Amino acid sequence: MPGLVGFYAFGEGRENWDAPHFIHYGLSALQGRGQESVSLAAIGPAGTLHTLGGKGGVEEFFRNNKTSIPKGFIGIGQTSSYTDDHLVHVKAPYELVLALDGKTDLHEERGEASKLFARQLSQLLHSEKEPLKATSMLINKIGGGYSFVALTHKQELISGRNPQGVKPLETGSVGFDIAAAASETCALDVMGIDHTGPVETGEVIMFTPEDIRGNAPAADAGNFCSYEYVYLARLDSKVNNLPVARVRNSIGRELAKAHPAKADVAVGVPETALPIANGYCQESGLPQELGFVRTGENIRAALEPTQRERLVGVQLKLNPVKSAIEGKDVVLVDDSVVRGNTLRNTVLNLKRNGAHQVHVRIGSPSLVSPCPYGVEIPPRDELISSGLDERELADHVGADSISFMTVEELQHAIGLPRQNLCMRCFENGGATR
Amino acid sequence: MRIMGVGGGAREHAIAWKLSLSDHKPEIFWIAENRNPGIHKICKDNQGELRIGRTTDPKTIVRSARGWGVDMVVVGPEEPGFHGIPDVLEKEGIQCIGASRELSIIERSKADFRRLQWENNLPGKLLFRTFKNAREASDYIRKNIDTQPWLQNIVIKPARQSGGKGVKLIEDRLAYLHDDKECFKEAYFDSLQTNMATYSDIEDKILVEEKAWGPEYSLQCFTDGKTVLGTPLVQDNKSAHEFDSGPETGGMGSISGPDLALPFITRDEYDRSLKIVEGIVEAIQKKTGKPYRGMVGGQMMLTENEGPTIIEMYSRLGDPEALNILAMLKTDIIDILQAIVERRLSKLKLEFANEDAVVVKVVSPNGYPEKKEKAKGHPVQVFETNIKRNGCYLFWGSADLQDNGQVVTGGSRLLALMAMDHTFPPASARIEKTMSSAQLTDGWGLYHRSDIGSEQLLAKRRDSAERVRRLYQYREEHGSLGRRMEWIPRVGRVDPSQLLLKEMHGPERPS
Repeated sequence: MPGLVGFYAFGEGRENWDAPHFIHYGLSALQGRGQESVSLAAIGPAGTLHTLGGKGGVEEFFRNNKTSIPKGFIGIGQTSSYTDDHLVHVKAPYELVLALDGKTDLHEERGEASKLFARQLSQLLHSEKEPLKATSMLINKIGGGYSFVALTHKQELISGRNPQGVKPLETGSVGFDIAAAASETCALDVMGIDHTGPVETGEVIMFTPEDIRGNAPAADAGNFCSYEYVYLARLDSKVNNLPVARVRNSIGRELAKAHPAKADVAVGVPETALPIANGYCQESGLPQELGFVRTGENIRAALEPTQRERLVGVQLKLNPVKSAIEGKDVVLVDDSVVRGNTLRNTVLNLKRNGAHQVHVRIGSPSLVSPCPYGVEIPPRDELISSGLDERELADHVGADSISFMTVEELQHAIGLPRQNLCMRCFENGGATR
Repeated sequence: MRIMGVGGGAREHAIAWKLSLSDHKPEIFWIAENRNPGIHKICKDNQGELRIGRTTDPKTIVRSARGWGVDMVVVGPEEPGFHGIPDVLEKEGIQCIGASRELSIIERSKADFRRLQWENNLPGKLLFRTFKNAREASDYIRKNIDTQPWLQNIVIKPARQSGGKGVKLIEDRLAYLHDDKECFKEAYFDSLQTNMATYSDIEDKILVEEKAWGPEYSLQCFTDGKTVLGTPLVQDNKSAHEFDSGPETGGMGSISGPDLALPFITRDEYDRSLKIVEGIVEAIQKKTGKPYRGMVGGQMMLTENEGPTIIEMYSRLGDPEALNILAMLKTDIIDILQAIVERRLSKLKLEFANEDAVVVKVVSPNGYPEKKEKAKGHPVQVFETNIKRNGCYLFWGSADLQDNGQVVTGGSRLLALMAMDHTFPPASARIEKTMSSAQLTDGWGLYHRSDIGSEQLLAKRRDSAERVRRLYQYREEHGSLGRRMEWIPRVGRVDPSQLLLKEMHGPERPS
């Protein structure tokens, strides 16, 4: 899953803006969406598109490429959880660079599907006189669930979301001369750009040297990824106009109401589940303890590519604060259970360190199907909830009880109508891979 | 009556001491490889003699037993049993207390013992696998570590009893230290293979077992093959230095009492442990068709997966654990030994001084256990009257009384000091007070563990017992005690014990 940023400068003196420098900060804020590869494209007064990609995290990328970072006052960038995920550069007939979050239905494989989308966009921009209309036609024609930013050789920045609009995309501006688009509002905050609102589903917003233009969005609100609220998005972001922090708090409250547990304290698994645990405590009246301390930098263990790396992530991330749990019955609040390794490790660790009973409460339904839109939810046969029921899972991880939210409870906590939430990963019968 | 003992350590000194206190007033004869000053004195005081000879050599033993005309032989250590001393004596018509060669396999071959447990589906098991060489071990582990996660945390042992040495615990539980652990593991497999090459009496050289954690304790029993009588639990301390650090030794000291269990082991756990040992005695007799007459014990641990679990078996009493139970034993030891040979142990009730807390501390010369040659041959001076005045008991171990009357160190554990009280700390304090009564006169150092019997160490044991008890009781409540179910991404449910049974029985006879 990538995090996207687009930066646009208008007006007189615009060549003085260093777009990649802003994008650097924007991508840093989106690091949580992926840290395996980074890529960047920029265009300056000469009108040439320069691109650069590399492996690793954002800081590493910018540090290692100090002298070769593309220059320009317009640019796009992405940070991705896939190692080989780079911007798609189409040279002809209409030169453009594309960054896409999610997946179009043009191909089985995500990368190929994005390439085909970029080629068709290039074709249409070339053959249609009106680029906005061309792009609008394309996203209405090509299915899947995706958001994108594209940069053309004519200094156009195109941002859009297809009518499904599973993936987030937000826009912002500051002063008279800067506009931007980003996967999450936190990236806009960090770039010092005011949030102006989401790119609506089925909407295309185009930034050109002359103006900012948009088409009419789709009538339907779309189908938003519910996992963004549970785990993916950053706590200080708004997704589809809903503050993530408030949603996680109400997930916690809903969880406490529907799945209470008799215990002395509640602890959240850092980082994502801490606000959920907070809500759980506010609703249940249990004291909240900080149960774990992290060693080293923040790691999104679930998104790490290999089993060994995920384990390293979990183990460095979750050193228990013994005094917080010793001799106590504990509610352990987590956001989701993927393969179950983290949870097992954590529950046993709590018990070996003196916790008495451990009741696990999960702020989302069981993950049983992989994501058709490119979130790294593994194939079904790697999802522990597709193999074990709650009772077996509790025994497997050594918990005294475990309960997940239902799809209805999660929907209620998010507060959007059911038809506007994508919950395919929580439902059986979808894709297996 | 005339009794002959075999073996020259602190355990044998304690057996001799107990024999000397019997109402049957036996004449006491002994064979040992060192002139243990304590045993030497007891023999002299009881119309007998201590003779130096190879304790594993049937000819030496039989000739002496014949020559002295003894009624009964008591074997202390394990090696004479491994060499079939009890079998030879039996053939000669001399009654012997000690596991015969075939029965002592439960101790001699750690691999055969585990197989016996799994074949009979006895409780208190650990997952295991045996290997003929280092390469086989490391290849297997590398190939299977992802589908059999227990292979991440393992104990590597020589598959044959080799004097309580050679065990390595490798916890590969922090994935970021995996490469370091793997490196060490491979190197250790190699060195183990080299060491074990000298033992030709066993095919599997390397044993890899599931690593468990929890408090350890020994349960020692008397058995006539029909009845297994348990004695109070004892906790030995295997690490050389304070608070369980440093290299593995034969045992640096032990605690027992009050009563049958220990302060951190429940009576229920005692009963389960006894059942486990009974099961082993029954299984090995069934397998060999031989009656078990002697001592048997389990070196046990409370574990998450099984509750009371056998780490290793003893085909004898433990050293120093024997000291604890013999000190607490009120029943005449000769009555017990006679009941064993006559197979009427079921009629006997063992009595113990249940009010006593017993502390034993072992004193070793510097150099033990890693550099025994350096620890050997130092002149020893012991002020026995001081020890007695402090209410302590002295048992000689690896010591040799020379012809000139000088005692020198043998390189292994030199002696043990024992004290009793209502609780452990005052008993421990009495031993500490008299510790300076034992010295080496050439300036070479002695060491012991001052923490044994301390409130602090006891609290540590209690704490670890409570944690592990909660975990195994959880399993019991959830019906998963003794089960090892895993869920492996892409593979699904895996039961490593089924895999183990399949491998044990071979592909043609799947279980």
